[in-house]
Amino acid sequence: MTSTNWIKLEIPSDTRNVAFARTAVALFASQLDWTLDELEDIKVAISEAVSNCVIHGYGLQEGLVKIEASYSGPELRIVIEDFGRGIADIEEAQEVGFTSFPEERMGLGFTFMHEYMDEVLVSSQLGKGTTVTMVKRVRDSES
Amino acid sequence: MQYSFELEGQALIVTLRGELDLHTSPEFKETLTKLFETHSHVTNLIMDVKGLSFVDSSGLGVILGRYRELQERGGRLFFVQANPQIKRILQMSGFQKISEFANSASDVLERI
Repeated sequence: MTSTNWIKLEIPSDTRNVAFARTAVALFASQLDWTLDELEDIKVAISEAVSNCVIHGYGLQEGLVKIEASYSGPELRIVIEDFGRGIADIEEAQEVGFTSFPEERMGLGFTFMHEYMDEVLVSSQLGKGTTVTMVKRVRDSES
Repeated sequence: MQYSFELEGQALIVTLRGELDLHTSPEFKETLTKLFETHSHVTNLIMDVKGLSFVDSSGLGVILGRYRELQERGGRLFFVQANPQIKRILQMSGFQKISEFANSASDVLERI
């Protein structure tokens, strides 16, 4: 068996699909040797990224969310992309507590992604969309 | 997502079961807000999260919003039976500064 594998998902930006996305990708990721806590971490990170697509990318309107997950050896890479509004200031958007909806949102989505994954890269263009790439590596149980 | 409510004096005990996220949190928010309006004497919110299998920032935002309503009444927020994963995300979100953790709702009721 090769040590590489991948999946691609395309889902409508519907709030119901947030749970589907995190569960499907976590199921794929479970082919690697994570602890249960690490798998939960991955689910939270995916949930945040897909929720951002639905809320911020498309403003709860119809849109397409593309998800690619792959691994090569111990490295899991997840790419989540929308084609919505885009982010004006990527640095500001990733600050702890930054939110466009202060009444009900905590502004912790990117914080959780950074906390739970080893690498998070955000690229965005206004009016064209946002791509979040996250990487997490399986820890060597001997180390 | 399932939840049930129980009133004990000035405390509202909320038992959560399932996943609290972007999809499930709006209905939960609406229900809690209505309960706060109907039972204006409630000052303490006890969240039994033993059956909560997943929460993200969308779910936590709803809990924080309700805490702010309670705060205006001088109330307190408690989390009961949080598993390590839930406790970790609560702590990372700063909830340990505004809430208290307990082993059971009855422990909290004795304390308040």
